[in-house]
Amino acid sequence: MANKVLLVDDEAGFTQLLKMNLEKSGGYEVMIENDSTQALATALSFRPDAIVLDVVMPGMDGGDVQAQLQQSPRLSKVPVVMLTALVDSAELSEGAVAQAGTTTVLPKPVDLNLLLRVLEEVLPEG
Amino acid sequence: MQKQSLVESVLDNLPVAVFAKDATDDFKFVLWNKKQEEITSLRAVKALGNDDYDLFSEESANYFRSVDKAVLKRGKLLKVPEEIIDTKHRGEVHLRTVKLPVKDEKTGHDLVVGISEDITEQVQSLRQLEHLNKNLVKTNKELADTQMQLIQAEKLESIGRLAAGVAHEVKNPLAMILLGVDYLSRGIDPDDGNVEMILTQMREAVERADRIVRGLVDFSSQRALSREPVKLDLVIEEVLLLVRHELTRTSTNVVIDIEDDLPHVFLDLSKFEQVMINLVINAVHAMHDTPKGELLIKGRSERIKDVIKNQGARKFEVFREGDRVVILDIIDNGTGIEKGDVSRLFDPFFTTKATGHGTGLGLSVAKKIVALHGGNLTLENREDGKGARARLILPTEIDTGKVSLVPKLLKEIDT
Repeated sequence: MANKVLLVDDEAGFTQLLKMNLEKSGGYEVMIENDSTQALATALSFRPDAIVLDVVMPGMDGGDVQAQLQQSPRLSKVPVVMLTALVDSAELSEGAVAQAGTTTVLPKPVDLNLLLRVLEEVLPEG
Repeated sequence: MQKQSLVESVLDNLPVAVFAKDATDDFKFVLWNKKQEEITSLRAVKALGNDDYDLFSEESANYFRSVDKAVLKRGKLLKVPEEIIDTKHRGEVHLRTVKLPVKDEKTGHDLVVGISEDITEQVQSLRQLEHLNKNLVKTNKELADTQMQLIQAEKLESIGRLAAGVAHEVKNPLAMILLGVDYLSRGIDPDDGNVEMILTQMREAVERADRIVRGLVDFSSQRALSREPVKLDLVIEEVLLLVRHELTRTSTNVVIDIEDDLPHVFLDLSKFEQVMINLVINAVHAMHDTPKGELLIKGRSERIKDVIKNQGARKFEVFREGDRVVILDIIDNGTGIEKGDVSRLFDPFFTTKATGHGTGLGLSVAKKIVALHGGNLTLENREDGKGARARLILPTEIDTGKVSLVPKLLKEIDT
């Protein structure tokens, strides 16, 4: 069965394009949530294997959503990929990724190949 | 010591110079009081018995003589508003003189009596005033030039502040295009329904990036006020796009409430956008500590009479009664304005922000730009005390705003 990825980002066009790419190139089953306040509820029902989370969002930001996920016993182990324009990609040394626990930070705008590589690493073999 | 007669004593104590010439005796001086001695630097003993040609330059003497003759010919008083004599101790002395013909009853001689007032100081003051005035006009012009430069400087400041946001905003649509290209470059299946959607998304993303970049170019271009009729709701849309990053970053909720069929306003788009960006960013900063920041942008149209009745202030004296204006309110639920700051908000270089976080020019420049448009910008706390309100009043006709309130109306407002 394909691995399930949840995309949480307020930008609908962006998530839609990312979803199509992840489905086509990674063979994942992808769900989109554009409202960050609904992220926890969606995650609880969708039960993703990984969550891709934007940092800057209206309502709840990525940090708030991540904190919620961590407190949920059913979701705290799910790897999270945070996308943020607030870090310089140079800071992450040539497209490398920053990792802390189950969370990986990627610079925005996202490089599809890099995201695919990271997802491959953090996801259990599907 | 010779005993003075009463008349001589009075004459010598007058604050004006008095002299008399005997026209029947070659216009020789027969009277020369103390003040005349002082003004001309010539003693009476030297002057009496001599004529103008003995005492003054030929040019001056000619002039005095012609006036004397004119007085005698007219047989009545003649006023000389200003004449100049050269004196030994005081240089040029300016005099205002009255000359009158007098008949000496005893001798039957015709006399010309002159009464002169020293107006040298007045003339000098006037000259100084004229000089100062000239300087003032010059300084005023320099100030106007500087003001335009300040507008430009503040604009650059604003651009710096917004650059990060704009870069972010442009990066996103570009990333979307890239995602589209990524998808398409992995081979296109003719039956793949996603292709059309991706191409639409990519086109929209290009247009969005283009709009943002174009907005920035417009904003930074330097030119004189060039006004065109614009729809305010479209301007606001553009402005919100430029500050979107700031609004998202601060989770500010924006509510727009613009009346339908609002008349066009005549604006210099780039300068007006600068004003709007400034007001919006100010509002956002004021809501820094507000848990649920809400920015309300309200637009409506009114006849100026209503505004005056409602607001009861001389603030709107740039408009005439009956002018149709557009009123734009930018309302926040932030910390509001400190009481002590109210009167200084529009002062250049006044800022409540930390050093390096604002030039203190934003509002003063904004006010200036709005005034150049013939409009008015005010900033005050909300009546419910839950934040501040910036109010823009804009003319809907291009020539409105140059004319002051008619006096009648002013009177009504005052009372």
